[in-house]
Parts: sequence; C-alpha cells; structure tokens
Amino acid sequence: MRGSNDRRNGATMCLAVSLFPGEAPFEVPMSARPDFSLLARFVQKAEAAGLDMVLLADSAPGGGASNRQVPFEATTLLAALATVTNKIGLVAAASTVAHQPYNLARRFASLDVISHGRAGWNATMAQDPREAANFSRPEGFSRDDFRRHAEEFIGIVQGLWRGWDPDALLFDQHGGRFFDPEKMHLLDHKGEFFSVRGPLNVARSPQDAPVLVLSGLSEPDMDIGARVADVILLDEPSVAGAKADDVKRRAVAFGRGPGAIKVLMNVAPGADMAARPDVIADRLEESFRSKSCDGFNMLMPPVLSVLDDFVDRVLPELRRRGLVHPDYRNATLRSHLGLAGEERQ
Amino acid sequence: MSARQMKLGAFLWATGHHIAAWRHPQAHVTAGVDIDHYVHLARTAEAAKFDMLFCEDAAGVREANANIASQTSRSIGFEPISLLAALAVQTSHIGLVSTASTSYNEPYGLARTFLSLDHLSNGRAGWNLVTSASPIEAANFGSTGLRPHADRYERAREFAAVVTALWHGKLDGASGLGHDGQNFSVRDPLDLPCSPQGAPVMVQAGASDAGRDLAARTADVVFTAAQTLEEAKAFYDDLKGRLAAYGREPDDIKIMPGIAPIVAATEAEARAKHEELQELIPDDVGVALLSSYLSISDLWRYPIDGPLPELPASEGMQSRQALVIEQSRRDNLSIRELARHFAGARGHWRIVGTPAQIADELQARFEGGAADGFNVMPSYFPGELDTFAALVVPDLQRRGLFRTDYQGSTLREHLGLKRPM
Repeated sequence: MRGSNDRRNGATMCLAVSLFPGEAPFEVPMSARPDFSLLARFVQKAEAAGLDMVLLADSAPGGGASNRQVPFEATTLLAALATVTNKIGLVAAASTVAHQPYNLARRFASLDVISHGRAGWNATMAQDPREAANFSRPEGFSRDDFRRHAEEFIGIVQGLWRGWDPDALLFDQHGGRFFDPEKMHLLDHKGEFFSVRGPLNVARSPQDAPVLVLSGLSEPDMDIGARVADVILLDEPSVAGAKADDVKRRAVAFGRGPGAIKVLMNVAPGADMAARPDVIADRLEESFRSKSCDGFNMLMPPVLSVLDDFVDRVLPELRRRGLVHPDYRNATLRSHLGLAGEERQ
Repeated sequence: MSARQMKLGAFLWATGHHIAAWRHPQAHVTAGVDIDHYVHLARTAEAAKFDMLFCEDAAGVREANANIASQTSRSIGFEPISLLAALAVQTSHIGLVSTASTSYNEPYGLARTFLSLDHLSNGRAGWNLVTSASPIEAANFGSTGLRPHADRYERAREFAAVVTALWHGKLDGASGLGHDGQNFSVRDPLDLPCSPQGAPVMVQAGASDAGRDLAARTADVVFTAAQTLEEAKAFYDDLKGRLAAYGREPDDIKIMPGIAPIVAATEAEARAKHEELQELIPDDVGVALLSSYLSISDLWRYPIDGPLPELPASEGMQSRQALVIEQSRRDNLSIRELARHFAGARGHWRIVGTPAQIADELQARFEGGAADGFNVMPSYFPGELDTFAALVVPDLQRRGLFRTDYQGSTLREHLGLKRPM
C-alpha cells in the first residue's frame, strides 16, 4: 500500500523514534531535563518529518531518580502529546507487572480515542528484576511464570479491546437506545493468573484496536510474538534477519497474513549521523533490502538537535532512494504501519 | 480579598449527571468519544475560575443488565487519568482531580501516575480515593466477590499511607524505610522529581464512619451528598471535629457537598427544563433504579401508572426504602412518577431555580457552617455547565463569595491548603 516507486515488494520502511530508552546512547544531564513543551516540539518535529511513530519508554520503577530523563509516566505523557499532534503514532511502554489487565486495557483504549486511533502499547517480555519489589511481589516471578503471566495478560487486553463491535454505539436520542446490547460482548476470561468478566467501559478503537508493540523477546517468547504482536522490536542486528523470518513463518502457521507483523530493528544511530548520513543510510538500506526487517526504531535521547540530525540529514537521503514513504496516507497508526484491517486474515 | 470564599468543582460526567441527559437536544450525545468536547468543558470551567475539574470513575460498566444499560450513556467514556492528562496541557490554571480505586490498583503505580499528572499540569493534580463497592468492578479483577467493607477500608488506609510516603519522599528501602505491610510491599522511592505543589491533593467521598475517619486522617478535600442544610451541617461538624485527633486543624480539610442545579432566567423556565429532562427518562431505566432503591426485583410486574404495591420489609437500605414509600403515599405518586423523581436526582441536592435562587441556597450553606464549597453537577453538557458559568458564577462573584481571578497557580493554592512538610 506504499508509494509506487518502492523497490522492495511495494513496501517502504517503517520508521519509529524511541525516546529515552534505558540503553540510550546519549546521557542527558539532570539539569537539562526536558519539560513537556520540549517533548512536544520533539514529537511535532518527528510528525513534520512523516515518521510513523514515537515510542515512549517508561523507566523501570526502582531504577532510582538518577536514571530518569523526564518527569513523566509514559501513558499520561502520551495523552498530553496526543493533544498537540495530529498524525504521528504514539506508543507508550507499560509493564504487565505494574498494572492490572483491565486497567491497562482501559487506559490504552482511552488513549486511542483521545488520539483518534494513533495509540499503541509497548509490552516487554523481559522482566525487570527490580520492579516486582515495588508492586507487592517481593519474591518476583520465575522466568516461566513471567512469560505465562504476560501472555495471559496480553490476551485479556486484546480481548477487552474488541468487546464492543465497531457499530455498537447508536446514539439514538429519539428512540432512547444509546447502544445495541447485542453488540456488546463479555470477555468472561478465567485463567491461571486472572479472571476478568468485561466488557471494557471505553468505546471501540477508531483503528480497530490499539497497536501492540512487543519487545524484549527471547527464543521461547517467539510463538507469543507471532500470535499476538502487531510490531516486534528486535535488538541484535546479527541475528535479527533470521529471527524476523522465523517469527513471520510462525505467524502464518497461526493463520495470520505474512504482512500482519512488522519487525523493526532497534538502531542507535550515534553521533556520525550528521557527519556521514550516507553511511547510516547505506546501513539501513542494506538491512531493509536483505529483508531482515520492515523498518527501524531509532533510539534517541529527547534532544532536538539529535532528531534534527536524523530528520534533516539521514531522512532526505533515504527518501531520495525511495525507501521512505513521502507522507502519511491515512489518519491511524495501523494505517501508517500497513496494518489496517484488510491485511489481516 | 481577605473574606472567606467558596471553592467550586466542576464534576464532569459524560453527557451529564441527569440519567437521561444524553437524550436532551442540547446535550452532546457523543461526549464519551469526543475529546474536543472535554477540552471545551475544561476551558469553560477555567474561564469561570472553578477550582477544579472532577472525574468520577468505575473500573467497569455501571449497569449489569445490558438492556437497561443500553438506554443510558454510562457504559462507555474516557478513562479519567488519560482524559485529565490530555486536558492538563490544554489548560493553565484549573485543578484536575480523578477518582481511582484502592481496591484495584497498587500504591506505587498510582502514586507515580498521579505525580506524572501533577508534573504535566505544573501542580494541579488531585486523587479522589475510593474503595469501590460495585460487584461489576470486582468481577474485572479476579475477585470471587466484593471484599467486606472493613477489609476495603483497612486496605485503603495502608494504600493511602504508602502513596503519601512516596509523594513526601519518605519511603526508601535502601535507608531502611521500605514498606512491608499487610496488603502491600514497596521498596524504592518514586523515580520522578517531587511534586510542584508539595504533593497532589487528596480527595475523598466516603460517608461511613470508617470513611470519615480515613478522610480526617488523610484527605485535603471531602465530597459529600447532603439533601438538607441540617444534614450537611451535621456532616461538616462531625468531620471537622475528627481532625484534632490527627493533629490537624479544621481548615486543613475543605468540605464540598455535591449540588445538582437546574438553572434558568426565571423559575418557571427552570421548572420546565427540569420537567423536560424527567420526561426523557426511559421507563425501564427509571423502574430499574427505583427497584434498586427499594431492594426488590419484580417492580416491573406492576402497572407503571398504578400505585406502589405493598412491599415486604427488606434487609438492605431500609432508610432509603422508607423514604421512597413515604413519598409515594404522601404525594399519591404512580410508579412512573416515583421512578422519574428518584432516577433524575439520584439522591443529590437538586435545586431548580433562577441564578439568584441558586446563589441564595449556596450562600446559606456556605455561611451557615455546612460547606467550604460545592461540587457542581450539571444536568447535561455542555449546556448546563455553560449556564452555571454564565449566570450563577457572576452572581456569586458580585456577592464576594467567589474569586474573580486565580490568585495562585497550583490546586493547593486555589484551595488554600498548606503545602505538606
């Protein structure tokens, strides 16, 4: 569904920017902590450049005040950013240990309505060892328990997101029917860790459901990713290609279309963006053409000059090579990513 | 202006507080999916110098019977913390208070989320603590049943203590100040800077003995429902009287009863407006609500235009049941009339009248030692908030009872609350 001058199966690369990830290649001094207006300018700049989405990391509670780069929790920050942007996708990280599935499903469903269908949830399959101690689970989770807990959690959230049919709301003031009761569905989930009746008390998403971005997957998590993820973020470039092929094969085996999952490779572009934009562009082009990924997630500090280097130097080069779509086609994050309904089975 | 002035909250709720609000031609029927509607409401309230916006919350739908629920607008809406975070950067002065449950959250996550809202708004956030009494909510959180009242309040006390310690920077496992309690354990301090207003404002609404005690211990603001001045004054005196036991002064808590006004230029117009709303209550919805007040399930079997049948005595809600029965006999009301009467006001203080009449009533309670301010519950949005802001607020301002401009920038400053140590 991308531009006609595409050179790889009619597709252009997906581009995301990830703000303040733990492993950011830059340190932001405490004194230079960005306030909301700076973050708003950063995301507006990313939007003006036509990037698909911004990912808002959420520091692991327990990391200590010195590790924080902004004074905001990710979902509340997303809500605020949604009101000062119109097109760009906004994805917030939120932990399956720190939330209850009903509350989290609700928060993101609401963010999706606030942003008119531009919201996504970044769930990680990698457990933060310090987090459980602040959420009344001092004993933590075993690796296996954490995986099963996360998988059940995600299933509940995605089920709740689809509890109202898209045409359930009638708003029939004269007839006195606000919604069609036949089009509201209970979840009635009873599982190992949770039981949740539903339905959600937020309307159906303008983009069908918020986008699910999974990160931190290790080998045993690949089946989960293949079944439920819309976007998968991968770390190690050396094995990313094989992993991407593998997860897409598994997705097809689960009855999903081959385009139903977008695999993005995490990239820390570093300081040579400004000096050697062509080198960065070469590297991205090579990975993209070898089909090891559908695009890239650029890890950046919330510093405008770093984004400027990417947007003003590297992006024009990628665009010149026909690797990046020229503008947003539609309004929702799902459509930016080529994940809109018709590509799902 | 050194004279004591009242505090005003704008209690936002979807299409309006009247159960049939969504059917009114001047209500915004798509309120629950329209963020621009809420931005308009927030700016209207801010222009009128309200102290705060207030959002109610439940982690579940309000009505289990889908047929009844589908005739009201309350099954869908925004989740309030995300809603207020969006409004935080679209406003500059007004306070932003959201309800959140101590039964279905963890204190670390809740403290962190509200502190983030406080930073986004530069010190305008508040948390309304509720313990959640609805079995519909309980079923979304793996419970086999609702926790008993006493357990819920025990958990709430511990929850509030942990949240306060986190906000005040007094919890840190590395210094031996971790929390390891009956319900919660927390090891680390919050990973966000401290609040621009010292700590977000703590709000509460529980009217039971345990609820009042918890409020006396921890709350900065208390919302109540009181029909009469005597009732409101008794609650006011009782709660303020409990503060000394916790080393607090009477002015450390602001008591703000809810008020459900219906305002128009003349009393006749106000009455007509009220009648118009009452006519919009679907019979099913009214009878269902009346049934729940009467603690019986088969009221629908009786002719709706006939009188209330003789009812057996029941265990639940005896005082309210007696009130309904007494009114039906005294005023010779049919089931339909009775249902409309109770469904419309939902037990809140309803005043129907002119701006001056409403201002008189508010003044009487404010000066009569029954309130420090009021939580205004417009019948439908945006119309009735616009009307209150345009007609009642200026009247209160002329009387010197309400601010004509914000003096400070944080919610604590608006409310005249001390900054926590």
